[in-house]
Amino acid sequence: MERIVRVVPEAGLHARPASQVVRTANGFDAAVTLEAIDGDAPPASATSMLGVTGLNVKQGERVRVVAEGSDAEAALDAIESILTESVEDGDGDSESETDGDGADDT
Amino acid sequence: MSRQLDGTGVTAATGVGTAWWLDDSDPADLSSPPDPGTVDPSNERDRFETAREAVRAALTRERDRTAREVGEEEAAVFDAHVEFLTDPAIESAVAEAIETGRPAPHAVRDAFAGHIETFEAMEGRMAERADDLRDVRDRLLRELSDTDVTDGPPDGAVVLATRLTPSEVTRLDPDRVAGVATVLGGGTAHAAILLRSMGIPAVVGVGEDLRSVDDGATVGVDAATGTVHIDPDLDVRERLESTDGPPVIHDRVTTSDGTAVEVAANIGSAAEARAAAERGADGVGLFRTEFLFLDRDAPPDEDEQYGAYRDALAAFTEPVGGDHEDADPHEPPDRVIVRTLDVGGDKDVPYLDLDPIENGFLGVRGIRFSLGPGRALFETQLRACCRAAAGGPLAVMFPLVSTPGELEEAIAVLDDVLDGLRTEGVECARPELGVMVETPAAALSAAALARRVSFLSIGTNDLSGYVMAAQRDVDAVSSLADPLQPAVLRAIDRTVRGAREEDAWVGVCGEMAADPDLTRLLVGLGVEELSMAAPAVPAVKAAVTAIDDDEARSTAEAALDAETPAQIRSMLSPD
Repeated sequence: MERIVRVVPEAGLHARPASQVVRTANGFDAAVTLEAIDGDAPPASATSMLGVTGLNVKQGERVRVVAEGSDAEAALDAIESILTESVEDGDGDSESETDGDGADDT
Repeated sequence: MSRQLDGTGVTAATGVGTAWWLDDSDPADLSSPPDPGTVDPSNERDRFETAREAVRAALTRERDRTAREVGEEEAAVFDAHVEFLTDPAIESAVAEAIETGRPAPHAVRDAFAGHIETFEAMEGRMAERADDLRDVRDRLLRELSDTDVTDGPPDGAVVLATRLTPSEVTRLDPDRVAGVATVLGGGTAHAAILLRSMGIPAVVGVGEDLRSVDDGATVGVDAATGTVHIDPDLDVRERLESTDGPPVIHDRVTTSDGTAVEVAANIGSAAEARAAAERGADGVGLFRTEFLFLDRDAPPDEDEQYGAYRDALAAFTEPVGGDHEDADPHEPPDRVIVRTLDVGGDKDVPYLDLDPIENGFLGVRGIRFSLGPGRALFETQLRACCRAAAGGPLAVMFPLVSTPGELEEAIAVLDDVLDGLRTEGVECARPELGVMVETPAAALSAAALARRVSFLSIGTNDLSGYVMAAQRDVDAVSSLADPLQPAVLRAIDRTVRGAREEDAWVGVCGEMAADPDLTRLLVGLGVEELSMAAPAVPAVKAAVTAIDDDEARSTAEAALDAETPAQIRSMLSPD
């Protein structure tokens, strides 16, 4: 199954949102791939930080999320919630921005 | 056109050769792969896994060190590198390529190539990710390559590098390298000491201008003046190419009054022992065994160490050069003094997981490490020493001893090891024993230490540092860590007096032993053995033969009364 999601976070599919996607995808049995609808990169596995950031998806661009496996539905929900959650719309707790995950490239 | 650059010379030697940049060798520049059918995929998979584990371990160490010494934020880059290293996209691409018969290095290079391009095409800080990827790829490729075998400098090269690590220096072959020049680095760093001991003409800390020298340019290295000459004129070239030094003296030497002074060499490998014998060294006064432990993933085992110690002894028992055979048969045999593993301080061995503070200059280093966390290594090393001692005059000395109790404990370990070997029926002998005097405590307790061994060997580099509480690689205090500080000479004097009470002899194996201008002073203080980098042996032997004993004693007495190193230098300078 698949879903098309418009990326809301300011960083696009980079940095924190990207590493959250990778961590989340690793938590499901389903194989999750991402494809940049507005770009020309080939689809990438959501478990690869290189693949995800290599899609070079920016804020406002669309991503096709494809999941195959027993918990595909739940995986799609989880990934969608990351990509549609604006960091700026959060509780304004700036510390949450700095809890390092290694993907410190913004 | 000829031009010259200035740096810090670390050897009193010169050389001319062809520029060869060490850092310029791009690990991703691979030769074409062999025919796919000839590569065993399972072997390549193992190579890749081993390399990846090694890189992951190195990154984790660097991460922890950076977090501790700089900050968590700066350390995060290493987390990102580990993430790339273990990325499933890389992993699957490498696995697939290996399956089709690609060798591991080619598989790695190709797996990264597309991703590097992707990031390079992005804007802003994402493009920096390409550098991170290249960094991770190059680490893997270096790990996979046998650089020391295939990619060493060509014969007659002047090796140019940003900086050299001690393990990189130990990979250089002194007979094949004409010289070394580096952009960064100081004259007292560990790498510089190694270069000096290997007799490689080297100028370090030349600065960014060195980068303008192209591979293949003719470069002259004048380490005596700290100058690098690029495309030198013929007269400069001829001067730098001449290797005239004082003649080699293979026989033992005495002062003009007949006092015997042993002039021995400091070495880090059995190969250096042979070079030292050729320079006329009367044996080895310091075998820095830590170099046997560097540049590898695990410590050398007993047999490997035994081989190294036996080979070092053989270098002095097998005749070298014609006049050696005429040597006086009554001369004492040339001995080899093995210093047990001396790690900690500024000497790191990655797989031992040393901590810069815990194992730092005032921490668990030298004998403290060997009697503590390094106990098993210590026992293995002593077994190798006792076995080698059965074949020749091998002595053992312990580093960084500060109390008689530590020495007794070390000797007890040695005697246990000997008992074990004898029970097993292994051929062995109890080596002659000595203690390094590097701490003020050891100098002040010299008699108590000397009572338990047959010699004391003063490590003047560390002794200066500990007496003056100054680290010589800290520029601002390096003039304090000077062995000609009167307080350091008084510590040497105290050591000699203590040793004499117990009929032990005293040697000096720090760098001051290599300076022929200081020979008279040390002999005047009562030092009977000097051990130094092999290239200095002929000049120091010549200096010994010129000594008048009374004059040397009065020089020493005056130096002990001096208040500054400058006063002492003026007493010693040739009039």
